[in-house]
Parts: sequence; C-alpha cells; structure tokens
Amino acid sequence: MRSLPPLRLLACALAVAVFASIPLISILSYGFRVGWDEIRPLVLRPLIGELLLNTLWLCATATAGCIALGLGLAWILERTSLPFAALWRALLAAPLAIPAFINSYAWITVRPELDGLKAATIVTVLSYYPFVLLPVAATLRGLDPALEESARALGTGPVRTFLRVVLPQLRTPILGGGLLVSLHLLAEYGAIEQLRYPTFATAIIAQYESTFASTAANVLAGVLVACCLVLVTLEVFLRGRARTARVGSGASRSRPRIRLGWWAIPVTAGVAGVVALGIGVPAYSVTHWLTYTGADSWTLGEIAPVVWSTLKLGAAASVIAVAVGFPVAWLAVRYRSALTTALERTTYLASSLPGVVVGLALVTASIRYARPLYQTTPLIIAAYVMLFLPRAMVNLRSAIQQAPPSLDQASRALGQSALATFLRVTIPLAAPGILAAMALVFLAVTTELTATLLLAPTGTHTLATEFWAATSEIDYPGAAPYAVCMIVLSTPAAWLLLRQSHFTGASYE
Amino acid sequence: MHALSKRALAPIAALAALALAACGGSSGGSGETGSSGGTETSAGATPTLDTGVTLVLYNAQHDTLSAAWVAAFTAETGVKVEIRQGSDLTMANQIVAEGSASPADVFLTENSPGMSLVENAGLLAPLDKATLAQVPASFKPSSGKWTGIAARSTVMAYNPAMIAEADLPTSIMDLRDAKWDGKWGAAPKGADFQAIVSAMLELKGESATADWLKALKSNGQQFTGNTAAMKAVNAGTVASAIIYHYYWYGDQAKTKENSANVQLHFFKNQDPGAFLSVSGGGVLASSKHPNEAQALVNFITGKTGQKVLADGTAFEYCVATDAPSNPALKPMTQLSPPTVDLSKLNSPKVVTLVTNAGLI
Amino acid sequence: MNDGAALEVRGISKSFGRLRVLDGIDLTIPGRTTTAILGPSGCGKTTLLRLVAGFERSDGGTISIAGRSVQGSGRSTPPNRRDVGYVAQEGALFPHLDVRANIGFGLARWPAGRKAKRSRVEQLIELVGLDRGHAARHPHELSGGQQQRVALARALARRPSLVLLDEPFSSLDASARVSTRTAVAAALREEGVTTLLVTHDQSEALALADQVAVMVAGRFRQVAPGPEIYLRPIDLECARLLGAGSTLQGRAAGDWVECALGRLPLADSAPFTSAAVFIRPEQVTVHSGTAAVVTAVDYLGADKLAAIRLPSGEVVEARLAGTAALAAGDQVDVRVEGTVLAFASLDALGAKANSG
Repeated sequence: MRSLPPLRLLACALAVAVFASIPLISILSYGFRVGWDEIRPLVLRPLIGELLLNTLWLCATATAGCIALGLGLAWILERTSLPFAALWRALLAAPLAIPAFINSYAWITVRPELDGLKAATIVTVLSYYPFVLLPVAATLRGLDPALEESARALGTGPVRTFLRVVLPQLRTPILGGGLLVSLHLLAEYGAIEQLRYPTFATAIIAQYESTFASTAANVLAGVLVACCLVLVTLEVFLRGRARTARVGSGASRSRPRIRLGWWAIPVTAGVAGVVALGIGVPAYSVTHWLTYTGADSWTLGEIAPVVWSTLKLGAAASVIAVAVGFPVAWLAVRYRSALTTALERTTYLASSLPGVVVGLALVTASIRYARPLYQTTPLIIAAYVMLFLPRAMVNLRSAIQQAPPSLDQASRALGQSALATFLRVTIPLAAPGILAAMALVFLAVTTELTATLLLAPTGTHTLATEFWAATSEIDYPGAAPYAVCMIVLSTPAAWLLLRQSHFTGASYE
Repeated sequence: MHALSKRALAPIAALAALALAACGGSSGGSGETGSSGGTETSAGATPTLDTGVTLVLYNAQHDTLSAAWVAAFTAETGVKVEIRQGSDLTMANQIVAEGSASPADVFLTENSPGMSLVENAGLLAPLDKATLAQVPASFKPSSGKWTGIAARSTVMAYNPAMIAEADLPTSIMDLRDAKWDGKWGAAPKGADFQAIVSAMLELKGESATADWLKALKSNGQQFTGNTAAMKAVNAGTVASAIIYHYYWYGDQAKTKENSANVQLHFFKNQDPGAFLSVSGGGVLASSKHPNEAQALVNFITGKTGQKVLADGTAFEYCVATDAPSNPALKPMTQLSPPTVDLSKLNSPKVVTLVTNAGLI
Repeated sequence: MNDGAALEVRGISKSFGRLRVLDGIDLTIPGRTTTAILGPSGCGKTTLLRLVAGFERSDGGTISIAGRSVQGSGRSTPPNRRDVGYVAQEGALFPHLDVRANIGFGLARWPAGRKAKRSRVEQLIELVGLDRGHAARHPHELSGGQQQRVALARALARRPSLVLLDEPFSSLDASARVSTRTAVAAALREEGVTTLLVTHDQSEALALADQVAVMVAGRFRQVAPGPEIYLRPIDLECARLLGAGSTLQGRAAGDWVECALGRLPLADSAPFTSAAVFIRPEQVTVHSGTAAVVTAVDYLGADKLAAIRLPSGEVVEARLAGTAALAAGDQVDVRVEGTVLAFASLDALGAKANSG
C-alpha cells in the first residue's frame, strides 16, 4: 500500500496537473509580463470596488439562502413524516437539471421587471440550493441515530440536540455545498447578466466585448481568480479537522420520524411552494414560449446541427476528461502520499476557476504561444476538460475504491497478469463509476456558456450559445427549443447526482 | 453587448441560399430578387471568382442581416462564406491581436470605430474602386480602406406616459442636467453606445463627454443591450433610453411586444444625439482570397446587397447611392445628423473614457 | 435518590406494525442494583430499553423511574427529562468533540459551577479507568473498549437515577470485552447507580447483574438472581440461555429420573413422567471404561470440552481439565455428579433434545 508509485504513472499525473493549471499560470504570467504599473490603474479604480462588493454581496446572500433552504428541506425530508417524501426528494433535486441561465430566462418571462441583487439572489438560490440539500440530506440519513438518542438521554432537548450534535456533523456537507454554490456564483454569467446585476463574471465579458483579450479583461479575471482562491482556502480553513465520520461500524437502525400531524399541511405546502418556484416557473415559461404564436422561428433543420455539434463536443470532452483524470485518481487512491494528494488537489484548484476566466486565459495564451490551436475544436475541448475534471475525478476516485488492491492480489495469486487483472477485475468493478464520470462531464459541457462563447471555433454553435444568442436579442420564443434540449440532456445528470447522494451519501465535485 | 451573443443562423442562411438558387435556376430572370442589379455589380468587380474557396467573415453586424447577405452572395457567385459572430470591438481587437495571421477575410461592423481600429493597425487592404464608387463620400472614409454598408440613427426612446413630448430634451447633452436624474438609461457596454460617445467626443470634446458619461453612471440606468433598454422603457422601468432607431422599427414590425408603449425622439440640429452611425465593411490585407473577399464587400454595397437590407427586417438605412431604404423608416432626408469625419471616430480613447467613468 | 424501586415497568406492550414485540412486560429494579435482560436477538429486549429511555412510545402500560411516572395514561416524558443515562451499542460518542467534551456534554445545564463540572469530568475519567492522556483525544483516536468507557462516563456524569446499557460490549473483541466489563462493573458499583443492562451474553449478565430477567419472544420467562436461574431455571430455554448443557431423554419418578446415564437425583421433584434431563458439562466426569465413545474434543486452554456418545446414541458434553489425556475415539465411562434438572414435555421438543 505504501509502495512508491510507478514513475510513468507519476509523470502522467504530473502532466495532468500542469495541464489543469494552464489557465492559472496564464493569468498570473500575464500579470507579470504586463507589470504592476499598467495593472495598478485598472485594479485600483472604483469599478473594481463596486464589482467586488456586488460579487461578494451576491455570494453572501445566495449562499446563505441556499444553506438555509437546503438545510431546512433536508431536515424535512429526512426527519419528518412528510407524505410522499421520495417524490418530493426527486422534485426538490430537479433544479439540478435546469441551468441557471434558463431559470433566469424563465423568471424574467414571468416577472419582466426583475433585476438587481434581489432578483439575482432569488434565481440563483432556486437554481443552486440542491448543491446543499443533497449532501446535507445524505449526511443526515447516514448519521448514527444513537448520537441523537444519547444527547437526548443526556438531558438535551430536541432543538439543542440539533444545534449541538446534528449541526456539527453537518459542517462538512454544509461547507462543501456552500463552497460549490459560491464558486458557481462567482462564475455565473448568463443568469446574472439577464437580471442586470454586474459582477466580475459579467464585467469580464463586457470588457472582452469592448477590448477583446486585453489587459483590462485579464486584470478583472485576475481579481476573480483571487476571489476563487480565497474562497477555496477559506473553506479548507473553516472545515478544519472536522470529525464527522461514524466512529462505530454497526448498521444504523432506522429512526423514528417526527410526526407532523396537522403540521403536514403547511409543511407540504411550503415544500410544494419551493418546487413550484424552482421547477414550476421554468416549466411554465418554456411551455409558454414553445406554444407562443410567434414560435415558428425554429425548425428541426436549425436545431439538429446545433444538438449534433453539442453532443460531439460533450462526447469528446467526457472521454478525454476520464482518460486524463484516471492516472491522477489512481495514484491518489492506490499510492496515497503528500505528493499524490497535492497532484489531485491541483486539478481541483485549477478547475475552481470560472469558465470565462479559463476561456479568456486560453484565448490569450493560444493567440500568443499556440497559434495553430487558436479557434480550434481541440482548444475548446481542452477548456472543457480543465473545467470539468473535478466532476470526473470524484467519480473516478470512488470507482477505483470499488476495486481494492486485495482483489488485485487475489487475482495475481490466481495466475493472472497485471494487465489481465486490470481488465478482468479492476475495470469491471470500476465501470459504473467511470460511466458516471463520463456522464457528468458530458452533461456539464452541454450547458457550458462562457468558455464556449469565447472559444468556439468559427461555425461551431452549441445549445448554450444559441440559447444565449436568442435571449440576448429578447427572442424568447426562439430560445425555448434550446432550453428544452438542455433540460432534457441535463436530466440524466441530475438523476445521477440524486441517486449517488441517496445511495452512497457521497458528496460530489 | 448583444453582438457577441447574436445568433449565427448558418443553417437558415444555407436554406435561404438554396431557396434563392432554386428561384434563379428555375425561372431564369424573374427579376424579383434583384438579380439584374447583381449581374451588373459582379460584372463590374471581379469576373473570375474561385467557387472552391470558403471565405471567413468576422461579422459584428446583425447575424440575420449578414446571413441574408451571405446567402444571396453565395447564390449569385457560388463562393461559400463561414461566419464568425461577435461584436465590433471584440472582433476589431481580436483581428489586431491576431495580426497578419488572422483567419478573417472580410470584416463587417455595426459601427465605424471598430473598423477604424483595424484600419489604424494597418490590417485592411484598399477596396476596389468599383466598390468605393457605389457609396457616397459621407458614408466612407477618405482612405478608401473600408466602406459604409448601412447606417443607423441615434434616437431617444421614451415612454409617452412618463414624459410629455414638450419635455423632451433638445440635445443629448441635456441629459447631464439634474432634472433628468433617474429618467434615462443606455446600454454602455455595447459598441453602439461607444460609437455615439465617439461622435460626442469628436463634436463636444473630452471634458463634456466625460461629464456626460459620469451623469449616466450616477443618474442613469444601465442596460445590457439596446433591446433590453427599449424593453425597460416599454415596461416603464425607466422613462427613456438612448438607442438606435431600428430596434423600435423591428419590434413594431413584429409583435410590438417590447415597444407598444414606446415613441422615438429624433434629435435635430446636428446634435451629437442625432448621430448617424455608419456600419463598415472591409477586406483584410492578410486575406488569402482577396478577389472573393473584395467581391463580397462589393456585393453588399451593390444594388442587390442594399436591396436585401431594405427588404429585410434589419430596418437600417441603406447607404449606397440611389439605394432606397426600407419605406417604413423615417426618410433619411428628414434626419439632421452632425457631420463627422469617420476616420476620426476613436475607439480606444472612448473605451478609456467609458472605463474611467466606471461603466465597464 | 431513594432506595426503593428505581424502575417500575407495568404491563408494557409494543408492536411494530403487525409484529408484537413486547407483550405485557412487568419489571421492577430495586435502587442501586443491576438488572440484566438476557435473551436471544430479536426477543424484544432492546425495544424495552428504548421504551424506558423514551426513544420509543409503548402501546400501553406504565413506566416510572425513581418514583416519577414517565410513561402512562397516554403521556410520555421526552428522553431528555427522564433522568436516565444511556450507553449505546457502539458508544455513539460525538465525533466532533474530544473525550472531555463528550463526558461533559450533559453537564451544560447541570446546576453546578464550571469548576465543579470540570472536576466531575476528571473524576469520571479516573472512575472508568481511562488514561488521563486520552482526555484530549477525539473518539476516532480511541480503541473500542476506551470508547465504551467514555460513553459510560458520559452517561454517569449527571448522576442519573438509572443507567441503561444497550449491549455495551458486543462490538468489542474477546480480550477487550472482559477488561472493559470489569472496568464498567467497578465504575457502576462505585457510583452506586441503578442499572439496566441488555445483553445476549450470559457471562455478561451473570458477571454484572444482581438480577437477571430472561426474555423470550417479548415476554419474561424468569426474573431472579443469576445463580438462581443458573441452578433452578424455570424451563429448558432458560437453562440453555444461562449456560451450556446436554439434554437426554428420561423418565421421572418423584425425586429421581431414569436416563441413559442411569438413575440420577433431581434438584426438585418432578410431577411428570416423560422428562428432558438437563446436565451441565461440569457435572459430567469421565472414567476409564468402554460404555461410551469420545467423538470430539475441543481444547479451550484451561479446560477441554469433550463430546461423548452414549450407548443410547445420545451425546453428552463433559468439561475436563486441560491436562486430561483424552482424544476422539477413546472408549470411556461417564458419570454425573450432583443433582440434575428435568423438564416436562420432552416429546414436544422432539429431535432438538438430542443435540447437546
């Protein structure tokens, strides 16, 4: 177990870590090349302060909202006698299948006057609360009931038991979910742009619009990168050495749920309200525009090529992401050490950067250093791989854990070669996780907007860019079919995330 | 803003091309599609075009308009065109960054400053004389490196329920006054806006322009794109907005959904607010297919190209000599735009001013 | 604390759906004593403990702790107001708190100063025999036995009227089990606390309890001091739950019973004829002879357990000194020392009675 990793594998993983760091390196080196004198007037100006404040405000309100909503809903789902809990769980997870920019489009369809911080908070909370709900619910479900019982027997009332015993166990999923929400908010462009709330992500695009991959755009990106890094560090610091694993090993007993009695009516109404806002509004709006009288502006002939090119990009990116992630995940699981963990973390860190930053970095770098790659399909696929590698890694990790070394040894002792063992034992056991990894990357690509806007080769259009083009022209009926395609393509990913969180209690990303 | 996100309707363009080709092929010279004009332009420009090449068009014009131009061009000449959609200044800066290795053959803009940026970088080839002859001097720079292909007028879109006609400003500069506090808006991230500002800079000087931008930042509302601004006026979110005329005409011709409660106010007396912005077309010096690229610009400024513009839903003014604009528009003769030297409209300076004002 | 009944359970029943788990349970635990509920898994013993703790509500009956009614006439006191201590099967230590904080958890609302609370925690660490160096550790840094000691200390901290132990040693390995059991017994004795222990391990019950309640299928079969149940079990099942033994067919007559091992004296005279004769392995002695055959010998270290086939075909187990020279296949004679137990209705037991 503690043996040294094979050098060739280590070299692969090292290459992957460097590859994943390209956007970060590009932004940093741009800064060094240009020099502080040119950067200073761009950083130290009121707009940056404004954007910083706006971005932080949104992060604060929406992350708090997601945690409050996710925690409350998770508690209702897991601890009360809510009728049809399984159905509600699925419906409450459904916003995972609706990209935030489609949600935004749906909301301004219903309430055209929506804009600013309040609107951005409402829409992003309704889009992202499942990121908190699912891991918290999974942890609540996995908690040893004896913990709460012991606390009760020690004279602690139900509320204080929740605060003193349950909540500390939920620290990891709450912080993890909160981080995920915050990173998404830092990166979110489409949803927030439609609601006229300027943040760094929208400002970078605006600057790109006026000046292309200029110093000003790269400086904004640099500040956004700093925000991401601060956030990731903060999460590590807050999480600290939280101990939340079950200490014992016995099977958890099913616990009695709190009987709602007449409370079932208002609680169910509240849950139904969240569902109505979270998926009812998008469903209504998309249906409205699809059946709108002026909706003849789209035809199969127009949409089919877009779907096809989106599918091709998604397939390529998912295969490559899994191939690239495998050696790193393998090392991290099989040869755990400070080095391999650092390599694994690097792929996560680099990928916490928003799509707009990765897009801008690759445009800047390719036009300068890799001209043959400029405006090509390989470059945009590389961007997807950088962005979505963590989704693959999380699943690859658990996939590899399904095939512990003891099985390898058993197979080798039965006369199988290393290769035969890999093919006959490891791969079959890891296959479901590998497929899940591919599916999640694939589906993330189908709704990626900002990096695609910047990097798509001439003539390549994806569902997200076409949807965005239509909504920017306020051509809402024209955007509806693309919205439907994206929702349909995202549904399997949402289902997969729901299933994973339900049966394994695993977090994701 | 909206330019980057505009749809490139390549499939539709292909369909349109097929339709046009079928039309021309079956009925020979029905004349309906203006093929008589087309023959004249192509005969005058470049008689031998290589139909095997595919031009790359960096298009910052409205995608539907360019798609229609390209479809008609391909139908007439057989030369295929691949469109990369973007916004004026993104693409202008992009071409500058790409330098002589740019994949672009032809560049079309919505406004002239982006084109000037590329011209000043020395990346444009001189246009064919025949092409330049099709457009009057007021719609092209003296350098002959590019030409106007369409024009749009600055207007103030207002909600009559919120502003009485009598209270409308006589100059766009009036919006700096405190009495307009909170009553107007614009889309400062877009190239359209920055073109208006460049005219203002040219006509009124730097400090007046900086003041005006400051007023927008503190007193005005900022929107993402002219459509969103007009929509807000229609909904009563803001009383008025500085936009281009064709957004209103386009919506009026469709459902009036975003303009039913909106009226247009055209500034007079050569006010900067009456600025007529010229959309440009140019050929890259680095183009590997100069003949075909020249032919495309020639086509767009020729009779057929201008008729595609007039007949379509773009509602921009035609600029070629004797080319009638869409009859729905307020006639160009009734406009009183300021006279501006196109080559003096300066985009980097404007971007700096807008950036300093904290608008981007 | 009074020295009367610390726990009084009357007529408690509990069903889960259609499954009746407890059926009219009565139990009294005198103050400062330990009662063990002993029974096979699934007999309902843990459910009874959870009812007493207040984690579940009974369908009927009453429970009072230290003279205070906590369950009855449709009212149920929540667990935090029952004044009980509870040690779960695997300790259920709070993973986010260190040993000290775990033990002090219940003292948050204890009417005492901070200093008194701190010294109470230190006292408990010592009481359960924990190394002081472990006090700042987190649960995952402790062994299973240490975790159980912390769990007990935590449960005892508030000096509850009643401590409930739910199979507290079942997850430990054999060596830790005995040492932990000894430490727990000592701590309970020193605190003088009334204890209800649930277990399926007869040695645990016998070692810790003043009173053993044998539960089978949701009912108590026998409630008495351990040695009494061991010596005078009320039926064959109680006899078997309290230790190993062999069962032979026999015919009883008054104070005697006739079986494959001859005519043996009964502990109590039998009012029936057809009998199941129950013989503990330590009563069986082996002598040289040829009447029976040794079929298997289990070497257990200090002693050996030999299975011996009698001429009747029945098999009887004998406990021998570890040094005794005996091997499978040897021919021996077998005798029984002391009185034996006989139970009625052997026929009903059928073939099962043959196996030891």
